[in-house]
Amino acid sequence: MVVDTSATEFETQDLLLNVGPQHPSTHGVFRMVLEIDGEVVKDLVPYIGYLHRGAEKLCENNDFRQGIGYMDRTEYLAAHNAELSYVMAVEALAEIEVPERAQWIRMILCELNRISSHFMFLGAFGVDVGVFGTPFIYGWRERERIIDLFEEISGDRMMFAYFRAGGLAWEVPLNFPERVREVLESARQGVKDFDGLLTQNEIFIARTKNVGVITADDAIEMGMSGPTIRASGVPLDLRKTEPYLQYDQIEFETITADGGDVFDRYLVRLQEISQSIDLIEQCLERLEDGPIMPEKMPRMLRLPEGEVYIRTEAPRGEYGIYMVSKGGNKPHRLKVRSACLSNLQALKQMCVGQYVADAIIVLGSIDIVLSEVDR
Amino acid sequence: MSTDDNAAGTAEEAQVEVVDTFDDTIWDTVNRTLRAVDVRPERSALDLIIHIPRADIIRGLRMLKQDADLQFNYLRCLTAVDNESDGIDVVYQLYSVPKNINLTVKTTLPNENKVIETATTVWKAANWLERETAEMFGVSFSGHPDPRPLLMPEDIDMSDTYPLLKSHPFAEIDVLQGEILGHDRDAEGEG
Repeated sequence: MVVDTSATEFETQDLLLNVGPQHPSTHGVFRMVLEIDGEVVKDLVPYIGYLHRGAEKLCENNDFRQGIGYMDRTEYLAAHNAELSYVMAVEALAEIEVPERAQWIRMILCELNRISSHFMFLGAFGVDVGVFGTPFIYGWRERERIIDLFEEISGDRMMFAYFRAGGLAWEVPLNFPERVREVLESARQGVKDFDGLLTQNEIFIARTKNVGVITADDAIEMGMSGPTIRASGVPLDLRKTEPYLQYDQIEFETITADGGDVFDRYLVRLQEISQSIDLIEQCLERLEDGPIMPEKMPRMLRLPEGEVYIRTEAPRGEYGIYMVSKGGNKPHRLKVRSACLSNLQALKQMCVGQYVADAIIVLGSIDIVLSEVDR
Repeated sequence: MSTDDNAAGTAEEAQVEVVDTFDDTIWDTVNRTLRAVDVRPERSALDLIIHIPRADIIRGLRMLKQDADLQFNYLRCLTAVDNESDGIDVVYQLYSVPKNINLTVKTTLPNENKVIETATTVWKAANWLERETAEMFGVSFSGHPDPRPLLMPEDIDMSDTYPLLKSHPFAEIDVLQGEILGHDRDAEGEG
């Protein structure tokens, strides 16, 4: 007897799988609803906003010095870079010249922050991929050394509030260059450790190669930035394309990769740590004594009318500040351009057609900071 | 560029001359590209700003993206500015990856009719940025493929409150917490 198994008799239904907002692999309060067919992701709907605190509104109601503290809280893993965009926007509108020593110190601190942020990524990403424990401890160890140095300088481990419009809040400790070199020495070893643990690891490569691919054209169309777009082969690095501070005075090459997959995003970040170490050493050689604030800075800053869009290269990409001033001591409008928000938009495109387990890795490879996404 | 001597000599004349020249910017190229559109230039501290009327905004943006000399294929940022009685400005920050140039585009919407065509047809990057602008300023982007709120909760009706408008109150933090927690501070007394 022939059994009729035509499709009308058996219906399959896609499963809706909710991930987050409280989930260890979503790196904060991020929620996504996956529509899955067996193990394959057919659709993905991201939900953000759980950490929205109205940072922009707060900044519009606080003066230019108070705003610096709120910037730390938007991007807490790279607070120096976030502060930098904000103070540069104020300086551009008020036409303040920043003394050279302050610029070099800013560069050193921002690059150190990039290293600490990338180590944090490597650690957390290792756990996402399934290399349980070891990379996390490696990453945390290196990051902790850098954060100790930040604490010696600014008095706080994460919420530094150390940059000021015009320069720096106070002078760095006397042993600053030696301490930075100490930290760099350890970071160099950290890169080697990660390189040996992951880059040639067969299982790691099998899990990350050709996963979550995004092409260069799509990445540009989506407005992605930072290591995520450079891994797709677009040499978009604001330190190179639109140099700020003293980045045009030192030598470095933009790091890119061609694959646009998860492995390349990992590799670009790993190489950027080495690059930052090299950059900081060049900065230390150029660091000379001098003032860290211009003379005659008023206690309460009042800006003339005007507007500016300042963008700098933060560890996760372009961190932009759009500031509109209508005179007075507060910005009329302050918009934070979040690199993660734009990168996260491409998540759906990267995940559809992949396995569920790979969706977690793809999300990890974007390296989101939810407080920056939601602000 | 004039020499220092010339600059000192003509400083007085320069003040009389109100019309700003944009020779050092990409204004000529932009103006040629947008010849069919009524465009007004302005300066920010860094970039050139152009004003495009609302009716021509998407046509203008698409021309800027497709022109071979400009190729603004990257949308850095999209937001709005509440100018209270003067309406709302929608602001686009454009960048050209091949040419490495920047441009700011603005268009002004009247307060009583805050509707503008969506830019998602030009850059996909505009999607979430427009959703955020819509819920924060009450600007409605017609033709948007996914007009849900982005950061604000979906299950609470926020259709009459737009937090980033200047008319929206900025409450002190203890007032906010007092309302939510139901504290009556006067009744609590000492301690």
